Amino acid sequence: MKPLQEQISDVIEQQPVALFMKGTPEAVMCGNSYRALNALHAAGAPVTTVDILPDPRIRQELSALSGWPTIPQVFVKGELIGGADITEELVASGELQRKLDDALGPERDGGLRTVALELG
Amino acid sequence: MATMEAEAIRLLLRGAFPEADEIAVEDRTGGGDHFQVTVASPAFDGLSLLDQHRRVNEALSAPLADGSIHELRIKTKGSA
Repeated sequence: MKPLQEQISDVIEQQPVALFMKGTPEAVMCGNSYRALNALHAAGAPVTTVDILPDPRIRQELSALSGWPTIPQVFVKGELIGGADITEELVASGELQRKLDDALGPERDGGLRTVALELG
Repeated sequence: MATMEAEAIRLLLRGAFPEADEIAVEDRTGGGDHFQVTVASPAFDGLSLLDQHRRVNEALSAPLADGSIHELRIKTKGSA
């Protein structure tokens, strides 16, 4: 099994759009995670979600990597976009859609998938 | 779970942004742990939205770390 920090950085680096959230898209456990997920949907983003709740180490390792203290955290092509407020603002202004067009092309699919980290 | 007065958060923000044109803190639920903060400051001019929010998170790092703030919503503005 890969170390947790490596699994997290793999998701960040390899997924087009990564959303670290509390809960899953089917059972969102936090208002801000819900707002970020909705904003990404509205922007037509393909979203890969990771639930940080199963183990407190996930959040610790994630924040150590990103330098961002709160959940949710949104990454596009490995770059930290921000939390729910920034994501909503960038979708409202159209900036996130432009970023997605640049990074993933206009024909991107808006699919949703979930990655479960392996916990030792 | 620890809670916080909106005024305590406002003082932390004022300390970090002494030049701010506007600092507003709203306790969204009245429960002392869900807050909406608005900071308008020339200190944000030229910074990305990400870095503007980073500055606010840094100012509130203690209550964020100890769980006093359970949910934080941030709105930042540069100088008018």
